[in-house]
Amino acid sequence: MEILIYGLINSMLLVLMAVGFALAYSVSRVPNFMHGSLYVLAGYLTWVFLNRLGLGYLLSILLSVGTATLIGWVVYKVAVIRVRGMPVSEIIVTFAISLTILEFLRWLGLRGATYVLPPFYSKTVTLLGVPVDSQRIAAVLIAAAIVLVLWIFTHYTKVGLGLRGIAQNERAALMLGIDSDRAATLALALGSALAALAGITIIPMGNINVATGYDVLVFAIAVCICGGLGSWTGTILAAFVIGFAQMIVVYLVAPHLAMVVALAAIILILIFKPSGLFGRQKELEERV
Amino acid sequence: MLRALVAAFAIFTVLYGQAVEAKPIVIGAATDTEILDGFATVRGLKLAIEEINAAGGVNLAGKKVPFKLEVMDTRDCDAGVPVSEALLVVEKVILDKGADFIIGPSRSEAALASLALISRYKRIYLSTCGCLSPKFSATIAENYEKYKYAFRITGESANMVTEAIDLLSGVNTKYGLNRMFVIVQDVAFARAGADIVSKKLKAKGWEILGNERYPSGSTDFSAALLKAKDERAQILFIMGDMPELSILINQWNDLKIPALPFGSYMGPAMEPKFWEVTKGKAAYTVVNVVNAGNAPSNATPWTMKFYNAYQKKYGNEPEGYGTASGYMAPYILKDAVERAGSLDPDGMVAALEKTDMEGVYGRVKFDPKSHQIIPDLDPDQGAVGTTFQWQDGKRVVVYPPKIAVGKIKFPQWMIDSWKIKD
Repeated sequence: MEILIYGLINSMLLVLMAVGFALAYSVSRVPNFMHGSLYVLAGYLTWVFLNRLGLGYLLSILLSVGTATLIGWVVYKVAVIRVRGMPVSEIIVTFAISLTILEFLRWLGLRGATYVLPPFYSKTVTLLGVPVDSQRIAAVLIAAAIVLVLWIFTHYTKVGLGLRGIAQNERAALMLGIDSDRAATLALALGSALAALAGITIIPMGNINVATGYDVLVFAIAVCICGGLGSWTGTILAAFVIGFAQMIVVYLVAPHLAMVVALAAIILILIFKPSGLFGRQKELEERV
Repeated sequence: MLRALVAAFAIFTVLYGQAVEAKPIVIGAATDTEILDGFATVRGLKLAIEEINAAGGVNLAGKKVPFKLEVMDTRDCDAGVPVSEALLVVEKVILDKGADFIIGPSRSEAALASLALISRYKRIYLSTCGCLSPKFSATIAENYEKYKYAFRITGESANMVTEAIDLLSGVNTKYGLNRMFVIVQDVAFARAGADIVSKKLKAKGWEILGNERYPSGSTDFSAALLKAKDERAQILFIMGDMPELSILINQWNDLKIPALPFGSYMGPAMEPKFWEVTKGKAAYTVVNVVNAGNAPSNATPWTMKFYNAYQKKYGNEPEGYGTASGYMAPYILKDAVERAGSLDPDGMVAALEKTDMEGVYGRVKFDPKSHQIIPDLDPDQGAVGTTFQWQDGKRVVVYPPKIAVGKIKFPQWMIDSWKIKD
């Protein structure tokens, strides 16, 4: 039962970590390597607003998510737009900005275990006989809500349908009058907001530290590659596959192999299904 | 006019003389300033150097000379930073900053690799933090002529293991607890330390119920904690330096695991803010901070003098491992320089080997072959370690008995589970 409960929690945490990366990539085809740094930055900014400026928790969260959204927006408009379509340059640009953010936070003194965010609600709940702390339950609910809102947004709103159109076929979408750059800007900004939201939801379980930025990026990439780059359904499915695989390994084999599971999943998927579980990139290339 | 010229000449002579006299002795700290040990070591160094310089400096063959600190970040504890990078920093501190004495890198691997460099440049090298491997002193002893310039002024993992076993044996005798579950960070020092403690306690009749390793950056320890609960563990033996160990303590408290968390080395739990960080969930966590003075006690008259001065300067208590030893380094060097009468490296080695002084964590003496500070459980005889327990927001020293100011307490859910009687 522990594997079931904590496997579900772990999977939903992976969904939280990866969904922003997947959204940004599927629409703009820009691999947002700032993803992990925005996750940490949002946590740090919330801490600053809360502890240094004395703002309320909700307001601090909104301001942090807003800042991350703005960063995503500005980065696309100022830097990424100039190299769009050149994948290596896109990676270099976003990764360079990511390093700048993380190293700046390090320079500011973000070290040790002293930077923490309070849990949204502090209580331990027993689910099917398994004790779970309330922040993990909150994370599961928030992840589920994000997935639901994103689905509604992309299926029932004009802007969301536009984003889906770009994700499915950029040229066709352009012919229908959808502005590709505008959609990509929006996708990167939304992806950045989701990275921030993930950070603010997950960080109260532990602490804010620079190294997490790199780990989150690795997990987001692992989930997206396994799911198929650009596929939102694939991302969610891959998060569940990796999440449960990790928990099975943690409970039945050894916890230190959890990261190996994520990396092994990438290798195996790339061998047997190079486009990922739901990706179509490789098949399309081969057809051409 | 003549008077004015004579006066000006006299003033110039005095000022020039002072300027020549004031050429400082440079202590180069090439350490990882991002992690607690290195960061706290640098703070300790700064405090001691300020005090020494304010008192007139070091008496170098009759001249008063100040210390000057040069700090360079090695980042040797960062994942992915190769040892060679740390060595470049050590070399830079020697060549660019003109360091007369070196405070070495934090990770054992980088500290060990630095030994050859130190030997080449013949610089006195003090290890104040991070390097806990017994191999450091063993390497010096094996090749004394080559590595004699290096000294370690803190305890090392073998002492910590001895202390852990002694403390836990006491817990067993007094409260009848002898079932241990090991949770460690998946890094060399933690794996090795836990294995040695497990083996030795097993030989003493303890039951070792599990050994779970978590990679750096882990954020969920529930699997190990629930296993420990299922196995009816009474002690959680924890070792690691990653900040995420605070999650482990939070989860331990949330899940009410009836086993006492004992951090033979637990980086985040040493920090004075840990109580605040965990909102009090750190209560009852037991932590070794390597040297006395890193938590409040009356080990020697120096201990609280240092403790209070540190608090006054930085606005918080000494952070943990590395703090007291960083503070002691300039005092140990000052003592040796004054006895050696010069900065000559060989003369300094001889002087340091004869060191016998009182310090923050007890009597400072070095083993003449391995250059390891001599440990003891009595501060009058040698350098004492310190283990404290978080009690009501305070770090209460519970071990060794000579300097303890309190005794180990247990959470109610443990008392109920194991019928512990005080």
